[in-house]
Amino acid sequence: MTTRNLRRQPTGRAVRLARTIAATTGVLMLTAAAGCAGSSLDTTANDTASGDTITVGLILPKTGPYQSLGDDMTEAWDLYLELHGGKLGGHTIVTKTADEGTDEATARKSALKLLDQDHATVLVGSASAVPSAVIAPLAATRHVPFIGTGGRPSDKVIPDVSYVWHTSWQSRETGAAIAPYLARTIKGSVYAIGPAYTGGYDQLGGFTDAFVKAGGKLANPEGGNAPGGNAFAETPFPGTKDYKPYLNKVRASGAKAVYTFYAGADAIQFVKDYRDAGLSDVPLYAAGFLTEGDALESEGANADGIFTVLNYSPTISNQANAELVQDFQKKFNKTPTLYNVTAWDAAQVLDLAIATASATPAGSPSSAPATSPSSAGASLAASNPASAGPTANGNGSPSTSTSAGTVPPVTGQAINTAIAGLGQINSPRGAFRLDPASHAPIQPFYLRKVQSDGRSRSNAVIATLIPAN
Amino acid sequence: MGSTSATIAVTGLGGLAYGLLLFVVAAGLKLILGVMKVMNLAHGASYLAGTWLAYLFADGTLTGLALALAAGLAAATVGGAGLAALLRPLAGHTEQAVVTLGLVGIVVWLFSRISGGSSLTVPRPGLLDGHLSFAGHGYPIYHLVFIAVAALIAVVMHQVLHRSMAGIALRAAIDDPPIAATLGLSATRIRIAAITVGTALAVGAGVLGAPVLGPAPGVDATVLTLSLIVVILGGAGTNIRALLIAALVVGMVDYVGAVVAPGLASFSLFLVVIAVLVVRRQGLRTAVAA
Repeated sequence: MTTRNLRRQPTGRAVRLARTIAATTGVLMLTAAAGCAGSSLDTTANDTASGDTITVGLILPKTGPYQSLGDDMTEAWDLYLELHGGKLGGHTIVTKTADEGTDEATARKSALKLLDQDHATVLVGSASAVPSAVIAPLAATRHVPFIGTGGRPSDKVIPDVSYVWHTSWQSRETGAAIAPYLARTIKGSVYAIGPAYTGGYDQLGGFTDAFVKAGGKLANPEGGNAPGGNAFAETPFPGTKDYKPYLNKVRASGAKAVYTFYAGADAIQFVKDYRDAGLSDVPLYAAGFLTEGDALESEGANADGIFTVLNYSPTISNQANAELVQDFQKKFNKTPTLYNVTAWDAAQVLDLAIATASATPAGSPSSAPATSPSSAGASLAASNPASAGPTANGNGSPSTSTSAGTVPPVTGQAINTAIAGLGQINSPRGAFRLDPASHAPIQPFYLRKVQSDGRSRSNAVIATLIPAN
Repeated sequence: MGSTSATIAVTGLGGLAYGLLLFVVAAGLKLILGVMKVMNLAHGASYLAGTWLAYLFADGTLTGLALALAAGLAAATVGGAGLAALLRPLAGHTEQAVVTLGLVGIVVWLFSRISGGSSLTVPRPGLLDGHLSFAGHGYPIYHLVFIAVAALIAVVMHQVLHRSMAGIALRAAIDDPPIAATLGLSATRIRIAAITVGTALAVGAGVLGAPVLGPAPGVDATVLTLSLIVVILGGAGTNIRALLIAALVVGMVDYVGAVVAPGLASFSLFLVVIAVLVVRRQGLRTAVAA
């Protein structure tokens, strides 16, 4: 009865309604865009680049699935500065921040804000490959060094690395580091699955290429059918909210293990769905981001027993790591993550490079020994003066302040040149050096396993896949 | 290799749970947007708020879940009435959309403050934890129970709308407002009630659905978009069955589509939406021509 009445009116209304929705969505998008532009009204920094201070633009995710990575990086950057009297290489550092967002437009707008409004001499940051690719060409044209703290996309994405350095990792090397090991130890095929975006293509591509080359066999159907024979099962990115449909195919493939890469919020969901899909008897191997940082905390017991490959673990034994773990325990009551370490090392690299750049008048060759980073010792020196040893260069000491005014400003170009000459860096991950060609670290990689001691969980090192240099 | 029938069956079960979840949320949106003609873009945020309450109260017991549900319904009553009052002076859809989008901004900001931008895992009540296995595939017990509960909600909704005084009053107010008013039915009161019940459905779905689609950045947008799609596919009027079918189609396309045609997974749903809308228009035209 009533339904008949209703059916007479609806069509016009439904169409009008749909149209209104479409129109409103358009209006809203414009409003949102305007809102973003408005947020960068920052009137303070007009020429902070006087002799004594250097402005660093910190560009990290403050929104989106990688927000917690950005938080980790920010806290390590702040802690390094705090322990070093707010200075890097003897210069007071003014840190300006901006959100890298999740898309290219946001990253570009934020980078331009840091360059044009804040007049940053150096850019530091990026948690994912997408903003990294946007910032790199800007850095090159402006002669502003960019120290990346998140995944470095492959050469195809960033062809010119003259002003780009990464203290993190190259997106393809994580999977490549574990591939020979899996090809050797897994008796059967491996199912490769990951997100369909730049970071996922590089992370999984790095794995499948090296894995097939080492004689491994892929279990996912894409692995056999694609022309290259080494593709992975792709999940839409961003926006996959349930991985079970994709994981349901693993069982039928007869895989003896799964290899994957997810990070941040996606990692938490993937690990949960892996258990729910009844795959607990199929060993899960992953790039370490799957169980890194806040993700591991949220995953809880679901993460126990997952094997990962990464260039850091808080259980690595070396002095720089012992100090970092202690500093983090004291300040935040938690263990450091890789995201903490990449930002920490970015500060360390700049500490060393700025010291060299300001000690070297323009043009003359560098004479400062760059091989003994002040920072590893200085982190304790600042918090506990009694243990301070004599540091190689006076610039590293927190109390020494070169008199303001007489010092010529340190240019981005000079810092960039100094970074190229740094040599070995004593990182908590183990010693690494920046490759002169790729400008990315030549560094160790570890096989880790999620273990719980009843109170807390950690990624414990169970083997070294690639040794430190 | 690839997709065996067991793979598709267990995935279809996932699609069923997801479709029913969307049905409950979309029924609320339908009440607010489709019936009361109020453009509420904060409906996904209401769902997010529900998942957050589930997270707060979750202690691994059914009591915790019940408490979360009670808190959610209380919050929805207050929030729904507040929303009705806030939107009352706004006549146009555009104004309503901007105001409710502002509310979304606040909720999302609060959530990212509280959660630090991570997804939060809502533990399932111990009794319903774990999963059943079929042919090497797992399926969470909680999701099976959720399917039963959501189906029950659908039946109750249908009964209320067609059998109870409240349902009759609601339908009367939609069908013929002037006559309804002469019978002493207050349009304002019905409007407030509809917005409150609609919000309660979203919050309630959030509480119960949190272990299925939990509190995470972007969940509000996903839920809003998909429930809008369900409402549009469900067509006009108070046809519960059409809405249910639309929700199940969306859930199935999303899940089974991911297995059968993974390459199309990110947009297969929109292909279906476009196809349905075009066919429906075409059908109407031939009907008019005949």
